[in-house]
Amino acid sequence: MNLFMALQIGLREIAAHKFRSILSMLGIILGVSSLIATMSLTNGIEKGTRVFMEQLGGLEYIRVVNKDISNQMFEFWNLSPGRTLRDMQILRDRAPGISHISPELNFGAVVAAGGGTSERRNVRGVYPDHFVVNKHVIAAGRFLNDLDVERGTRSVVIGDTVARSLWPDLSPAQILGKILLINNSPFEVVGVLPVYQREDGNRRPRRTPRFGGQQSRWDPFREKNEAVLIPFSTMFFEFRSGSFPLDSVDSVRLDALVLRIGDLTKFRSTIAQARAALDITHRGVDDYDLETREEWFDRTESSIRATRLSGGIISAISLVVGSIGIMNIMLASITERVREIGIRLAVGARGRDIFIQIIIESMTVSFFGGVLGVGAAFGLIEILKAVAPMDYPPMITFGSILFSVGFAVLAGFLSGIYPALRASRLNPISALRYE
Amino acid sequence: MPLVSLQGVSKVYRVGDQEIRALDHIDLTIDEGEFIAIIGPSGSGKSTLMHLLGCLDAPTGGQMVICGNDLSKASPNALAAVRNREIGFVFQAFNLLPKLDVVSNIELPLIYAGVPARERRERAEKVARDVGLGERLNNRPIQLSGGQCQRVAIGRALVNNPRIVFGDEPTGNLDSTTGEMILQTFKDLNAVGKTIVLVTHDPAIAARTRRVIEIRDGRILREYAP
Repeated sequence: MNLFMALQIGLREIAAHKFRSILSMLGIILGVSSLIATMSLTNGIEKGTRVFMEQLGGLEYIRVVNKDISNQMFEFWNLSPGRTLRDMQILRDRAPGISHISPELNFGAVVAAGGGTSERRNVRGVYPDHFVVNKHVIAAGRFLNDLDVERGTRSVVIGDTVARSLWPDLSPAQILGKILLINNSPFEVVGVLPVYQREDGNRRPRRTPRFGGQQSRWDPFREKNEAVLIPFSTMFFEFRSGSFPLDSVDSVRLDALVLRIGDLTKFRSTIAQARAALDITHRGVDDYDLETREEWFDRTESSIRATRLSGGIISAISLVVGSIGIMNIMLASITERVREIGIRLAVGARGRDIFIQIIIESMTVSFFGGVLGVGAAFGLIEILKAVAPMDYPPMITFGSILFSVGFAVLAGFLSGIYPALRASRLNPISALRYE
Repeated sequence: MPLVSLQGVSKVYRVGDQEIRALDHIDLTIDEGEFIAIIGPSGSGKSTLMHLLGCLDAPTGGQMVICGNDLSKASPNALAAVRNREIGFVFQAFNLLPKLDVVSNIELPLIYAGVPARERRERAEKVARDVGLGERLNNRPIQLSGGQCQRVAIGRALVNNPRIVFGDEPTGNLDSTTGEMILQTFKDLNAVGKTIVLVTHDPAIAARTRRVIEIRDGRILREYAP
């Protein structure tokens, strides 16, 4: 007897006992749908988190931060000039693994459009590398370039939030060329950034700020959306020179210094290069530290893994429950069909043939249960989306469908073994006499 | 060489610590082309004998050779293979599969013989016409009369071209006219060379055969030609 015949017999059995088959499939349907649902949820979270981390600069993003000097270095604190543009130069010379360097000066200022609306914004003086390091894209116009920094031009690139609050009626392209007043100094808008948000940000109704004006959630893209970016040199000469202590461009203390690693496979050695270079400009004083995102990424990865695992285990349990249901029904079905099995044995079926027939039947039931479960999964996910809006939309992947249906068929196979063994060991004579 | 040869064959059942001797040292030879009736009252062991001859069961003692296969200590799989190739059964209760139509019922032994689907179908349809069910190929057993059911069963018994056909009270569930027709079918089969063994308690049927073996208490009481 070949498998195709066994399959035919299995299908006929299912068709002959529709209600019973649906009942026995129910466990598998629920198991498969919850398995797919959890997998899609974790897939969505995983992808969303990856995109999110990528938009924040990715693993290549390294901040040079100030650090309290250790005790044994305390007496030498004044040897180090702190973070300055000299750090940028020495990193360019001695740390080839660093592909981009973005020094930054910040300045809280009143920005205003010609029309009269004005607001306080954090204005930042940046180098062109800033746009690469922070993975900015542009909605209209251009980024700041080397020429802007060299000449100290009065160009400004603004984020989406700023653009919309100053020129609510204009599109990004229309804003280009407008004059933005920063503390009453005129700047020309040369570029507008797009709105940065999590993937489904636009599907969610924007929450109105709660009383007290506090945003209820921390928005990691706020800094990017509220950007007011001008050339570093313009910032220095326009707003920062003459402030105490008297600085030159080279010795002004930076408010931020961000690096980008060119090749992640050389992560460790590049970090070491950067430290060696910075130790020279800081004259051996440990007043800085390199803040990487490894730990944060690792934590995120492991929590995704944990979510996936626990969801998978819970769904697997429900699949096991489903397969126990199938086993029960198969046992009932063979007791009902002892005579049929006897007849098949009498005309020459071997125990093996009966075994295969029952196993295939069980697998067919679970396969159809699995396929229906895939359909139920789509419904289940819609329900979940409706009752509990999520930060990351669930993603049903082909792989998870294949895995779940495969798992269901495996469960059908395993739960079919015992009933099939019992059926195949029936004695033909007593089976024929069975009433 | 005889088709069936039993030498000192016994079948002993153990029920708890009790020993039930269903068959006790049977010696029997059946040649190709015979038409035999095995008779005896219920509990005499005639059914057990038929089960052994029909390879549904293996003996517990003695030597049993059927169609050249020594089945004295055969495994269930070996018995199944001989059953499939060399033996056809016709039962009192027809024992058809209610969910299958006439052709599917008849082709059942061919499935387990590994015959490809198309050939299976052709052979089953031909046999169905031979037993007079050409108009009923796609009917289910429930739509057939008793006599027609029994003819389906005969078709199923014949489809793999076995050398022996067993009938276990084949007319027991039929009215006398239909029973007579079935009996005639067996006679016709025998006339073209099939070996037929009928198990019955009805002396009238036994009288229609050519050799009667009477069983009593697990032994052959006597043998005669009617």
